[in-house]
Amino acid sequence: MSETRKTVIECKHVSKTFYSMAGDNLVVSDLNFNVYENEFVVLFGPGQCGKSTILNLISGLESPTGGEIVVSGEKVSGPSPKRGMVYQTTNLFMWYTVMQNVEFGPKMQGVPKKIRRERAQKYIDLVGLNGFENQFPVKLSGGMQQRVGIARAYANEPELICMDEPFGHLDAQTRYLMEEEVERISNTARRTVVFVTNNAEEAIYLADRIILLHNCPTSVHKEYTVDLPRPRDYTSPEFLALREQITADMDNTL
Amino acid sequence: MKIKLKEMGNSLFFSLIGIAAILILWTLGVKFTSVGLLLPTPLEVLQRMAYTFSNAIGRELTLPMHLAVSLRRVVIGFSLASVCGVVLGIAMGRFRMVEAVCKPLFELVRPIPSVAWIPLAIVWFGIGETAKTFIIFMAGFVNIVVNTYAGAKQVDENMLGVAYMLGANEIQAFFHVVIPSCVPYIFAGMQVGLSTCWMAVLAAEMVSSTEGIGWTITAGQENGDMTQIFVGIIAIAVVGLLLAVLMRWAERVLCRWRVRGK
Repeated sequence: MSETRKTVIECKHVSKTFYSMAGDNLVVSDLNFNVYENEFVVLFGPGQCGKSTILNLISGLESPTGGEIVVSGEKVSGPSPKRGMVYQTTNLFMWYTVMQNVEFGPKMQGVPKKIRRERAQKYIDLVGLNGFENQFPVKLSGGMQQRVGIARAYANEPELICMDEPFGHLDAQTRYLMEEEVERISNTARRTVVFVTNNAEEAIYLADRIILLHNCPTSVHKEYTVDLPRPRDYTSPEFLALREQITADMDNTL
Repeated sequence: MKIKLKEMGNSLFFSLIGIAAILILWTLGVKFTSVGLLLPTPLEVLQRMAYTFSNAIGRELTLPMHLAVSLRRVVIGFSLASVCGVVLGIAMGRFRMVEAVCKPLFELVRPIPSVAWIPLAIVWFGIGETAKTFIIFMAGFVNIVVNTYAGAKQVDENMLGVAYMLGANEIQAFFHVVIPSCVPYIFAGMQVGLSTCWMAVLAAEMVSSTEGIGWTITAGQENGDMTQIFVGIIAIAVVGLLLAVLMRWAERVLCRWRVRGK
C-alpha cells in the first residue's frame, strides 16, 4: 500500500553527533524511516533517547552530521513554515492574544488580514477555544495553552506537523482529554503528523504506525502498524495486548 | 475579596493616620516651640500654595507655570534618554560586537551621579536649556540602558526558534519576539529613569536657572522665605508621585499580557 502513497519524510542513514570539549556524543546513529502523506506516526522510545533531537533534525532547527533528511522531495536545510511544530512546553507568545498567536504564521508570510483571521478562527474553533480569541495565554490553563499551540501549528497549514511530547507536562486527566482532541483534530484536518512520546498508551491511541526507537545512540528498533478501529478503547483486549508487546519490546531496547 | 477590601481600607486608614500625625506634630512644634522660627505651619504652606496658583513667584511665573517649565525640560530630556537608552540597551543585549565595544564604556559612565555632570554641562553648553537637557538626559539614560540591556539579554532563544519555524524572518522575529519580551524591562527602566530625571531637573535648576520649580526653592533660600521653600518641596513631591502613578498606569496598559486573573 505504501508504494502508492506519497512519501513526506525520508530519513536516510541519519546520524547526529554533538561535539563538545567534554567529548563527542553520538545521539542518533544510522536512522532510517519514511513517513507517508496524511499518516500519523508516533516515535516511541524511552526517555532521553534523542527523540526530540530527531524532531529538531526534521524541523531543520539542527542539521544532521551524517545522512540526510528529505521532506517532500527537498533536503531539509533550515527551519521552514512548511513544517509545523508543537512543543513540549507550550512556547506561546505570551505578549500576544490567542488569536494573534494562531495567526502568527500566516501573518509572517504576508497572508492578508481577512484571510488569515478566517483561517485562524477555523483552527481556534477546531481546538475548542471559541470565545477565548482575545485572552492572553497567561490566563489559560496548561491544556488550553497546548490547544493554542496546536491551532498555531495547524493555522500555518504545513505539509507536516511535529509534536514533541506535547502532553508531557499535563496531568493525567487533561492528557486523556487532549489525546481525544488530537484524534478528533487530526481526523477533521488531515495532516501528516510525527508525534513523539514515551507513553505507550498515548502512542497506541493515536498512531497509524509506531516506530520504536533504540536507546542511545538512537535508531529504529521495530515498527508496528496499528489498525485498531478509531476512536480506540484503552481497555479493549487488542489494545492491551499491543501495549504489552510494545512495552516488552521497549524493555529489550534498554 | 471582602477580606482584601478590608485590608486595603485598613492600610489606607493607617497611611492617613501617619500623614495626619506628622501634620499635627509639625503644627504643634511650630506654635509652641522655637522650631517656629525655622518653619511655617502646614496651613501657611497650603495658603501660600493656593496664593501662588494665581500670583507669580519671582517676576512673572505662577507655581503651575514654574512646574510646567520643569516638566517640559523633563519631557524633552527623558524622551531623548528613552529613545537612545532603548536603542543602545537592545543593541548591547543582542549584538556581541556592540556589547564588547560599549559595555566597558557604559560601566564607567554608569556610577557617575547626574549632578556630577552639571559643571561639565555648564562649561560645554552654557547655562541655557541645552545644559539642562543634557543633565536630565544623563540621569534617565543610564537607568534605561541598564534595564533594557538586562531585558534584551534574557530573550528566550527558544521563542526565536518558534518564530522562525512559523516562517518569520530575522527582522520579523526581532519586532515580534525580542521587542515585546523586552517591554517589561524597558518599563522598569523608564520608571526609575523618569524619577531620576525629575530629580535631575531640580538639581540643574537649583544651580543655574531663572525659572522652574527648582529655581523657586533656591529663590526662597536667597530671600529667607521658608514658606516658599516648602511650597516648592511639596510641589516637587506631589508631581513626582503623579509621574510615578502615570508610569505605572502606562505599564499596566502596555504589559496587560503579564497580568494573571481578571
